[in-house]
Amino acid sequence: MPALRVSGLNFSYGAGPLIKDLSFELRPGDFMCVLGPNGSGKSTLLKLLTGFIKAASGSVKLGGEEAGSIEPERLARLAAYVASETSTPYDFSVRETVLLGRTARAGFWRGYSGEDGAAAALALEETGITALADRSINTLSTGERQLVFIAQALAQEASLLLLDEPTSHLDLKYKSGIMGLLSRLAGRGLAVAAVLHEPALARLGCNKGLLFSGGGAYTAGTAAEILAPGRLAAAYGVSPDSPLLPK
Amino acid sequence: MQRNNFLLFSAALAAACLFSLAAGPAGWSNADIILNLRLPRTLAALAVGAGLGLAGALFQGVLKNPLSDPYILGTSSGATAAAVFCFLAGIERTSPVFFLAVFAGAFGATFLSYWLARLAGRLSDAALVLAGVAVSAFLSALVMLTLTSSGARSFSLFYFVLGGLYSVQPGVLLVSALLIAGAAALAMARWRALDAMALGSENAYHLGISPERERVLFFALACASTSAAVAIGGTIGFVGLMTPHIVRRFTGPSARGLVPAAALGGAAMLAAADAAGRSLFSPAEIPAGVVMALAGAPFFMWLLWKSSRGRN
Repeated sequence: MPALRVSGLNFSYGAGPLIKDLSFELRPGDFMCVLGPNGSGKSTLLKLLTGFIKAASGSVKLGGEEAGSIEPERLARLAAYVASETSTPYDFSVRETVLLGRTARAGFWRGYSGEDGAAAALALEETGITALADRSINTLSTGERQLVFIAQALAQEASLLLLDEPTSHLDLKYKSGIMGLLSRLAGRGLAVAAVLHEPALARLGCNKGLLFSGGGAYTAGTAAEILAPGRLAAAYGVSPDSPLLPK
Repeated sequence: MQRNNFLLFSAALAAACLFSLAAGPAGWSNADIILNLRLPRTLAALAVGAGLGLAGALFQGVLKNPLSDPYILGTSSGATAAAVFCFLAGIERTSPVFFLAVFAGAFGATFLSYWLARLAGRLSDAALVLAGVAVSAFLSALVMLTLTSSGARSFSLFYFVLGGLYSVQPGVLLVSALLIAGAAALAMARWRALDAMALGSENAYHLGISPERERVLFFALACASTSAAVAIGGTIGFVGLMTPHIVRRFTGPSARGLVPAAALGGAAMLAAADAAGRSLFSPAEIPAGVVMALAGAPFFMWLLWKSSRGRN
């Protein structure tokens, strides 16, 4: 059974369709990149998948269930989402932030169980930020903070992981580190979908791709198909021999 | 709450109570004064401070906005306006209708500020403060208009609007204290949801929380405790703003420790402020609301300055 099946999805913010008759599916172990120019619907798609924004029509199935009819608490066990940037004025520690990933499993009234603590510790270890556990998230660099929210998502123990531009504003080391982490997670059986700003990053482990080219038009296929220079050039509106496209 | 912090806040609370019971020209010499005048007033200050401190912590968490409190969001003004209309309509301060009306005023004003800020587009800290200021100013003007045109009873009402703890009715104090305790208990039970909201509604949603539902719930709890506080002491500002910022330095930002600490801290702060107001310039008496504004306004400016620097 696919972790995620999207069929006939439509959405617009008003003027013209942003997402038109979109269909694709994601299986456990898939690592899909979502590419396309600014404003073509990449980030909106992720929010439609979790029901944070409601689609005009079409179906999103998470683990076989229609996403729109799933309670938030159950949804958080099926799909985890990492925003491109999460900020707060308050100095939550890294550990507290990651533990909040257990909200849907821990319930509201009691403290965290040993199981919650173990899941958070594992997530900290997988993302390599155990040493930062007691720091305030506001004292971290952008890359470190991104890892904290990936760790929070991992602590949810969902089978689908969605990330909105997890590598934006990061240097090359963090970019390759995060892509490596995501492909390891996919290798472990998670279904991963990440909106990426630079097509070249998709070469670091993606097996599937979704390319928006504006106005709701899209191509879904293997990463290799999506990354064909001619196709990328047309979608982004650059010359096919531009040095910015992956070779 | 950690054990050390709990002891610290209890000690601060005890010190504020002692100060409040002892403050006055007669000192400790007259048991009658202490029991019949200062004790009810101390209890009132504790309840009002706890209610406002609690409301401030809830607003700052659920809105992810460190500049919010019941005074700035218009909650207090809404409650005060409703209370004044009740007084003029002859509704008793102890009747359930009074409390319902005050709660409705608080809730309505808060959601109006929230809705206005949302209309402005993104729910930024500044938009919320601006909307709250507009709502507060309008409601205060409405209250002043009513007071100046209503004649006879306006003098005591004027003092109510100014914020103070002069005439404490045991019935009002009891009902209010129960309301505040109930709101605090419910908020503490859902501390994790409040923490998730403090990371933003998008994050909260994906952690398994319905942001709309939590917003209504925590607004309701904050408004209930604000209206209970207003029913006793009128409009007293800045307790709700300052207390969470001060106690957060000891407890950290998690609502698990912050919520009870803000209630205890608010109680201690207002008891001390009220005692200072009636002893420092004795025989003249400074209303607790004025004392808090004197201390609170500079604090708010400092906070604005700090948060504007943090942005860039």
